[in-house]
Amino acid sequence: MTEAAAVPTAPIIDEDANWQRLHPATLALAVVKLGPRSLNFLPAVAALGFTGNWVWIVPAILAFLLFSLVAAWLHWLRFRFLVGDDEIVIESGVLSRQHRTIPFDRIQDVSIEQGLVSRALGIAKVGFETGAGGKENDADLDAIALDAAQALRTTIRAHRSGEVVAAVAASDTPEAAPVAEDRLLFAMTPRQLLLAGLFNFSLAALAVVGAGMQFFDNLLPFKFNAFNPMDWVDVAEDYGLDQWLLAHRWVAGFGAALSLLFIGFASGIITMMFANWNFRLTREPRALRRTRGLTTRTDVAVPVRRVQAAILVTGWFRQRFGWHELRLQSLASDGEKERDHQVVPFAQLDAIDSVLAEVAIARPDADAAWQQSHRIIALGGLVGALGATIGGLVAASFGQALGWLGPVLGLLIGAASLFGVRFHRWTDLGEQVAIRRGFWKPKLTLLPHASVQSVDLKSDFILRPLGLATLVFGVPGGSSLASHEIPAIPIATARALRNRILTARARA
Amino acid sequence: MTDTPAIHPTDPFEPEALNAAEGLDPVDPAYAQVLRVATALNLIPLAIGASVFDYLLIRHVEGPYGLITALAWLVAIVVIITFPSRRVSRWGYKIGEGQLRVARGWLFRTDTIVPFVRVQHIDVGQGPVERWFGLSHLIVHTSGTHNSTVTLPGLPADLAAAMRETIRRHIQTDFA
Repeated sequence: MTEAAAVPTAPIIDEDANWQRLHPATLALAVVKLGPRSLNFLPAVAALGFTGNWVWIVPAILAFLLFSLVAAWLHWLRFRFLVGDDEIVIESGVLSRQHRTIPFDRIQDVSIEQGLVSRALGIAKVGFETGAGGKENDADLDAIALDAAQALRTTIRAHRSGEVVAAVAASDTPEAAPVAEDRLLFAMTPRQLLLAGLFNFSLAALAVVGAGMQFFDNLLPFKFNAFNPMDWVDVAEDYGLDQWLLAHRWVAGFGAALSLLFIGFASGIITMMFANWNFRLTREPRALRRTRGLTTRTDVAVPVRRVQAAILVTGWFRQRFGWHELRLQSLASDGEKERDHQVVPFAQLDAIDSVLAEVAIARPDADAAWQQSHRIIALGGLVGALGATIGGLVAASFGQALGWLGPVLGLLIGAASLFGVRFHRWTDLGEQVAIRRGFWKPKLTLLPHASVQSVDLKSDFILRPLGLATLVFGVPGGSSLASHEIPAIPIATARALRNRILTARARA
Repeated sequence: MTDTPAIHPTDPFEPEALNAAEGLDPVDPAYAQVLRVATALNLIPLAIGASVFDYLLIRHVEGPYGLITALAWLVAIVVIITFPSRRVSRWGYKIGEGQLRVARGWLFRTDTIVPFVRVQHIDVGQGPVERWFGLSHLIVHTSGTHNSTVTLPGLPADLAAAMRETIRRHIQTDFA
């Protein structure tokens, strides 16, 4: 890449010399990525095998590899980017060319991400968040050398902070002294991670393993399914243990429970370790910067002024020990899956308060006057419960024994929705609204009035006769599925709250 | 099919009263014609489909000849004639005090307020049917993920343009 730029073969125009290519190691990365992708090729290989054309398998695989490599190489060849004084230009596309110019002003955030292979190769993927909606609107360079990536980010940040230095000085005066240098806000030691992992107990992994076992049951050379008790009995039989086991069934039950617990805790700890290893949250002049990850290290900056809302998540059990997780909803999103940034994975409230102070959001005091949503919001759950019960009973009346699960499930759903109603609360703190919901996974949303872009006041044929309405807030960032809302509150209260919120000034 | 504001003395829900009680302006009654054409374009193919289905199937089962066809066309005609004017009367808007308010629906009523300063950009759109009746629709874009677009249909074209100008003067970019 730089060689081509440094030694122009022909006297070309000056700006052409500044064009850069992605790091050549990207090609190596493409080879690694071929591994999982070649799975797509398996059916073709199988088809060749079944039709008896064994001779063609090796040439077919080679052709596939060659084709993929040429495609990757062409893609690499036709991808170039130019870092200008105040913009970055990216040209890409093999057949249809794309030319994209992103002014530095419009880049909200530069993220750097490294997978395991990328770390070995010393390259990193650079993502530019432009705040435009939709994934396809965000550009990335996948991948360039790590130091080049860091230099690029520094360039873009320096440009932005140089431009709005006055505004920063105005808004960040409370901590005038440390503005210049970064300071550590929150970090996680391995011990904390272990503790967090223990609370992260999850049987989701078990379901995956179980499904996999089911799937591979027929493929395994030996007949053994770890999730089939009969298989265990068979094994025991081989060793003459069956009589003893059948006599002491509680041993088997105890063993099963123990292994369940072990898998649950282990998967919790492992996922926590992989995601949050060496977690560091630092305060930079204009942003909160988070680095984390064991194999894939990510480095994300959340510009403080772009933070729209804070979400405190906990669990019914960990809440008793005061453990919470803090997420910040920002204009820039956190990868494909998550729509908000996890800035504190697991901490006590006092640690979280200090992070919240950085983004000028406060938690409600203990004596805040919480108001409850009307009980009618349980209706949805109750209708679902009724549906499950009726469906189950119909199935049972046709002699399907499993149908009895319906009424049981219905009772559970009904009880849960009736119980959960009491946890829908909200309070107006003057400059922000706090919305609390959920029993199993309590969630507290702190929404500054100034972040609200639009307010819906919704009522329907059920809420209207009761004099109720639901407030739905349009907030930048986050997902449209998990919108911020206060369900079923008296309509006059809703109107007053809406007026108060909409008169708030934009966040400074 | 009247061009005068449709009043429904028999309507138990009194949508006019609904808008007036909330201090909202009604959209242009001609929007009912636009909706009617749109509904017709949706329903008539369905009714034709039902007729074809009827024609092909009923001779095999020797069932009630023409019942499905008659029902389909009856439902389509009733829906095309009665529903649009009702739906139109439940749209309401208010522009002023630095904010745009749009309300729609009755069974599920949504009343949205967008302050002008929160507007990112504005579209004024006009479809072929709308052009025929001299109407436009106004689309307001906000940066919120929920309500990223708020649409107000059924505005006379000149009013829509005037509203766009009013809002445009207030647009600020607080996201640099």
